[in-house]
Amino acid sequence: MLFDEALRRLRMLFQGKQFQNELDEEMRLHLELRQEHHLGSGLSRDAARSAANRQFGNITSIQETSYRAWGWGWLESLLQDLRYGIRSIFRSPALTLVALLSLALAIGANTAIFSLLDAIMLRSLPVKNPTQLVVLGEGKEAGTTDRYGSTTLYSYPFYRQFQQKNLVFSDVAAILSMWSGVHGTIDGSDQTVLMKVQPVSGTYFSMLGVQPAIGRALAETDDTSEGDHPVAFISDAWWKRGLASDPAVLHRKIKLGTTTFDIVGVAPPEFFGTKVGEAPDIWVPMSMMKSVPPNWDGYKDNFFQSMLIMGRLKPGVSSEQATSNVNVLYQQIIRAFPDVNLNPKNTADLSKAHVVLTPMATGLSNLRYSFSEPLKILMAVTALVLLIACANIANLLLARSTARLREFAVRQALGARRIRIVRQLLTESLLLALLGGLLGVGLAAFADRLLLRLISDGADILPLDVSLNTRLLLFNFAVTVATAVLFGIVPALRGTRVELTDALKDGRGPSSGSSRSPLGKALIVTQVAISLVLMVGALLFLRSLVNLANVDTGFNRQGVLRLQIDSNVTGLKGSDPRMIAMFQEIEQRVSALPGVKAASFASFLFGQGSWNTHIHVVGMTTSDNVNIKHNVIGNAYFATMHIPLLAGRTFGPQDTSTSRRVAIISEHMAKTLFPAGVNPIGHHYFIGNDLLPINDVEVIGIVKDVKFHNLQEPPQYIDYIPNPQHPWGYGSFAVRYDGNFAAISNAVQQTIHSIDRTLPIYDVTTLDHAVARTITNQRLVAQLSAFFGLLAVFLSCIGIYGLMSYVVGRRTNEIGIRIAIGATRANVRWLVMREIVLLLAVGIAVGIPITLAGSRIVANMLFGLHGIDWVSLLGSVAALLLVGLLAGYLPAQRASRVDPMIALRYE
Amino acid sequence: MANSIQQSSDDILQVEEGSLYPALQRMLIKGWVTAEWGVTSGNRRARYYRLTPAGRKQLVLELSQFQRVFGAINRVIQIA
Repeated sequence: MLFDEALRRLRMLFQGKQFQNELDEEMRLHLELRQEHHLGSGLSRDAARSAANRQFGNITSIQETSYRAWGWGWLESLLQDLRYGIRSIFRSPALTLVALLSLALAIGANTAIFSLLDAIMLRSLPVKNPTQLVVLGEGKEAGTTDRYGSTTLYSYPFYRQFQQKNLVFSDVAAILSMWSGVHGTIDGSDQTVLMKVQPVSGTYFSMLGVQPAIGRALAETDDTSEGDHPVAFISDAWWKRGLASDPAVLHRKIKLGTTTFDIVGVAPPEFFGTKVGEAPDIWVPMSMMKSVPPNWDGYKDNFFQSMLIMGRLKPGVSSEQATSNVNVLYQQIIRAFPDVNLNPKNTADLSKAHVVLTPMATGLSNLRYSFSEPLKILMAVTALVLLIACANIANLLLARSTARLREFAVRQALGARRIRIVRQLLTESLLLALLGGLLGVGLAAFADRLLLRLISDGADILPLDVSLNTRLLLFNFAVTVATAVLFGIVPALRGTRVELTDALKDGRGPSSGSSRSPLGKALIVTQVAISLVLMVGALLFLRSLVNLANVDTGFNRQGVLRLQIDSNVTGLKGSDPRMIAMFQEIEQRVSALPGVKAASFASFLFGQGSWNTHIHVVGMTTSDNVNIKHNVIGNAYFATMHIPLLAGRTFGPQDTSTSRRVAIISEHMAKTLFPAGVNPIGHHYFIGNDLLPINDVEVIGIVKDVKFHNLQEPPQYIDYIPNPQHPWGYGSFAVRYDGNFAAISNAVQQTIHSIDRTLPIYDVTTLDHAVARTITNQRLVAQLSAFFGLLAVFLSCIGIYGLMSYVVGRRTNEIGIRIAIGATRANVRWLVMREIVLLLAVGIAVGIPITLAGSRIVANMLFGLHGIDWVSLLGSVAALLLVGLLAGYLPAQRASRVDPMIALRYE
Repeated sequence: MANSIQQSSDDILQVEEGSLYPALQRMLIKGWVTAEWGVTSGNRRARYYRLTPAGRKQLVLELSQFQRVFGAINRVIQIA
């Protein structure tokens, strides 16, 4: 019944024209009939017509009431408003352009930053009931440790016992905290392909509730015994990219290291793993860990602690219950391992350990730790920019609605209700906002890709999905509507509060000018204050970035090519003499190339992780808190990196696997960890906790301190070890060169391939660039906040210009009188400028305390800036004053050129 | 229609003829009547409104309700 009714209403909507014609026709016939009737009863023609009309009633009103009965009146008036709105938008194209552009930029920026924020921090994992998932510990670490009391990284045997004994999880899974980039081959081809391989326990997919798109997922049966389940489950993205979406994917094979894996299934498209920003290409069962380069041997090792353990809480189990059960088991299981070493230190560390459970509905992410703060800051910045844009548009609309005062007055005088006019003005702002929002979405789609490129530090773009989604569009829509209401409501209410007679008389009365600008001025003051905050912020981040870029790394970052090779493809161990010889041959042959000055392998170039242990210096008490970073290097390392030798000698051919064990230490280590007053050269220390002869090394040199992991770190304890004495399956190669990068890079790669054709070479870049990559997020914040700071100031200037032009326009006759009775041009100019200076001063005065409070919030993101940074603050104030005065100068100049005759005649 | 109201009430009830139209629209929306063009006995075009079954049901309903109220009023008046 209701449905029928809706149908009839709809039909009426679409046949509106016909409907109206029929109604008109019907009424006309009716009137004619009546008229004839009256004629028949002897009335004159005119009298008959008026009698008929009288009897009928008000035709127009009846037509409207009949029409409105169908319930489409609101649509009609909305369309009317829209048509009118579009016309009025075109009537002032400059205003529209400015409004649209600033809106599009502001909304686009908000949407783009939000989409990144959403992808990295907010979006739930695409798995079954993600809120039930927790990870043991904080999930922040990656690597392997044999430390007692590790509450984030666990061994595989621990996982197995935990899985059987726990009472609080319906399912438990483990993943290796380190994924490996493996150069594998597909179907026996001799072309190697870089694949990200992630070993997981057999329970991983069933715990997450991930259903395969093709074939089967890995299962518990794949993880029962070590080494004999060569099966692989691949990601949808890699299936498309690496295998060209081959439908016969289940017949294909992947060779990793020396083992050939059968592909058994493909993951659904939305599943990217459990770490946001690290999407594995291939999952293999943990039982195959040792077969996947770098061949970790941890399946049966009780203290190869390198797994993250995650579980799905049983329904009804609280977090507290789960935590207590987990901690009881933690102590039980570790203390019961047969090879546990419960010396006093380990026992103490173990007793102190407390496992927390961290919810992982949004997944794990290392990105989140580095980007959550910058993204929040940027979100705040873009929100402020949007606020400025709103204030700006509100100001422009305010000015325009004042200009349209007469129009509104006429309409109200003719009987329009105020709410109707407010509605029409709001429709106009909504139209403006929606257009701006639409442009903003387009801009965001583009900006997102740019942002992703900015935050991806390597050659590869981070695997994050920042494409537009419903949530994003909803966010965007909400922002847009909020914007429209924010900038539309005040001008609409203001503009329609009309003293009818005054407005109709002309609206140029002396009262209306001054009574309407306080609001506009308040908006300008707000804009100036916010601009100051953003500008100081931008300057702080820029200065911090400059400080970072100028940090002395201790090595010469210019003129060095660096690349990665994957020596795992040789199938040899790092300690194999053939391997050691191969690295030395590469070093020698590359050094001999024209244009190359020195070349050396190292286990770590800048920012590539570390291998650290305790040491024991003979004659000193060891502190548990001191960790030494070890770097295994080739003989020409210091020459390649230009790290100055302060004392002793560097490594040479005499340092072989059988010669006396030697080490070179950093200045900071020599100064603080060695006995005072004794020359460290010739002194001995032990690497690791065990005082065994094999761990004993003699110091033969001291080098200058270098930055190891990032630019912000304080001086580190670093020692260097020659490769033959602690063979390392090298990956990183550094070449100091002179001349053209591309030519050298080609020559170096050819030389490497002439020694081993199969060696994959990747990530070829300069050392300088590799260093710059480590400050990606600082650069991101600095660049974006600078951009938004400029945008804010620019918008504020438009605001100032707009308001002052408007004020000058309204005061033309007053200025004319002033000039007529003797004011000079300079007086008049000052009259206007005074107002601008006042506005700027008030805005700055309001902005300074906010700025100071704000800079305290970002203090820990700044480098080399402490307390109040007067340079940034004063610089911003000066710049803001300058551009503000410039923006106001034009209207002031126009005011001073007012011709008193014309101005007065206008009155 | 206006005529017939006027005549059958012996000129006591007079309607403004135009006000029938909005009422007719509302009945059209409810589906109580349908409208179609036709020709009158005087060979004029006119629109004919016809009660639908749903409309007839509604009429019976309204009539019974009206009679109940009317009866009640009647009783009240008689007591007074």
